Amino acid sequence: MQSSGADTDAATLRTAPIVAAAKLLADRGVYGLVWFDAGLLVTARYGRLVEFVEIGDPVTDGVLPLIGLEDDIRALRRTPGSVIDLPAVTIIATPDAAPRLNLTVLWAAAEEAFLLVVSRAVTRSSLEVELSRQVRARLMAEAVVQQKSRELERANRDLEEYAFIISHDLKAPLRAIKYLTEDLETALGPSRDEAVQEGLSRLREQSKRMSGMLSALLEYSSIGRKDEGIETIDTHELVKSIVRSIPRPESMRVELFGQWPIIATLSAPLDMVLRNLIGNAIAHHDRDEGLIRIGATEAGEKIEFSVGDDGPGIAVEYQEAVFLPFRKLEPNGKSAGHGMGLSFVKRTIESVGGRLELKSDPAKGRGADFRVIWPRAIRS
Amino acid sequence: MTSRKIMLLGDIGVGKSSIVQRLVFDRFNMVYKPTIGVDVYRYEVPASPGREAMSLIVWDTDGDLRDLIFRHVYMKAASAAMIVGDLTRRETLDTMLHVAKSFRDELPGRHISFLLNKCDLLSAPDAAEIPKELGGDRRDVVRTSAKTGYNVQQAFIEAADAILRRGH
Repeated sequence: MQSSGADTDAATLRTAPIVAAAKLLADRGVYGLVWFDAGLLVTARYGRLVEFVEIGDPVTDGVLPLIGLEDDIRALRRTPGSVIDLPAVTIIATPDAAPRLNLTVLWAAAEEAFLLVVSRAVTRSSLEVELSRQVRARLMAEAVVQQKSRELERANRDLEEYAFIISHDLKAPLRAIKYLTEDLETALGPSRDEAVQEGLSRLREQSKRMSGMLSALLEYSSIGRKDEGIETIDTHELVKSIVRSIPRPESMRVELFGQWPIIATLSAPLDMVLRNLIGNAIAHHDRDEGLIRIGATEAGEKIEFSVGDDGPGIAVEYQEAVFLPFRKLEPNGKSAGHGMGLSFVKRTIESVGGRLELKSDPAKGRGADFRVIWPRAIRS
Repeated sequence: MTSRKIMLLGDIGVGKSSIVQRLVFDRFNMVYKPTIGVDVYRYEVPASPGREAMSLIVWDTDGDLRDLIFRHVYMKAASAAMIVGDLTRRETLDTMLHVAKSFRDELPGRHISFLLNKCDLLSAPDAAEIPKELGGDRRDVVRTSAKTGYNVQQAFIEAADAILRRGH
């Protein structure tokens, strides 16, 4: 809408709606205007959006983004038609939320003053802004998860190293205790009294036990670090040889079922895993007559081995603890070993990229079923 | 009071806004809220022996702008840059070096501080992998924590001193 300038009354009529609209928008905070002089002092302002600008003060006092641009602003007088644009700027003077603004400075020759036009930045819709925020927040969350994973890996490495050093270094003083005990026994001779004999016997027994535990810990910490070769093995033959080598009551039956593949894998770790599981099934069975079922199934890139028994089972509340080092469900001394077997098994399987699962619920029925998910391709 | 413009630069999510919020309002928000465009703050550095009080106009920039920021009017008349990296994300520390080079090319002779932020998240002081260019005992490399406030104010005071020394 333009005024011809020929008829003042007519022009007034035509500009009236423009002025009304401009006033409405300024009142609603859509835009604001600030006039300032050559000294950059504010002479007038218009609109809710610029109420933070004080008349009489330097414009830079309230409009912080103009600080540093004073010379550029003054230069606008010499280059009519040019402007300074500062888009998408938020002036944060209080902890409360503030609007994002577009700032434009120009020289208004008619008024002999600089004019600052302030408008709400609407370069991107709220939806786009929110989407951008969410994408970036997700990127940040992913970065945090990756960092936590790296920290966890490092902590695990430190723990393995620690276990290795502890178990290795403690063996030397333990050997010294063993030899000193033997020297003491020799020095005391056969005439030592019963209490001394009993004490020495217990000392020897406890030393032996601790030595066994340290050996187990040493082996545990070295899982996954051994430089073992991959061999082609017949899994059926492997399991049959394991079963033959483990003593069991004659009345305890062992059944093999499923498809037993020939695979190229780390044979010693697989032997150790299956040997432990089969040995446990036999050793912890509470009856002489029992059935151990050992199976294999090919499932794509994995082979599932299972070792099940009809023994007493493992109560649900102990099913996490049985995989922890030095944990035994029977009272100490009732069964041989150091309570490391299932820890070895689980850790060995995980070190090759596999998984161990346990199903047992004595409240519903007898037996325990261990399932080994063993990868066909061993990761380096 | 003298006013100087200082740019906060660095990758997204390194804690630029958290640093300036800690500096100006002494607060920390756990909820990540990315900066869109640029946020401008004022922080008055108190007077010290040999230096009058100085008003720092801190431009907290949108990390997504990356190199575009150097071709933008936002950078005009900046007296210094504080380049922020996240000690828990190595790639953001590498970005700091790239940003510093671009800033020097654009505004030669201006002061640059390197803020290695989120030091509170490290399990040990030497747990972070830091580019060798940012290692050693450099005065312009400062470990900070916007969460605890560690070294935040000090970093800006030292930047104000450096701006004054360089006369920009």
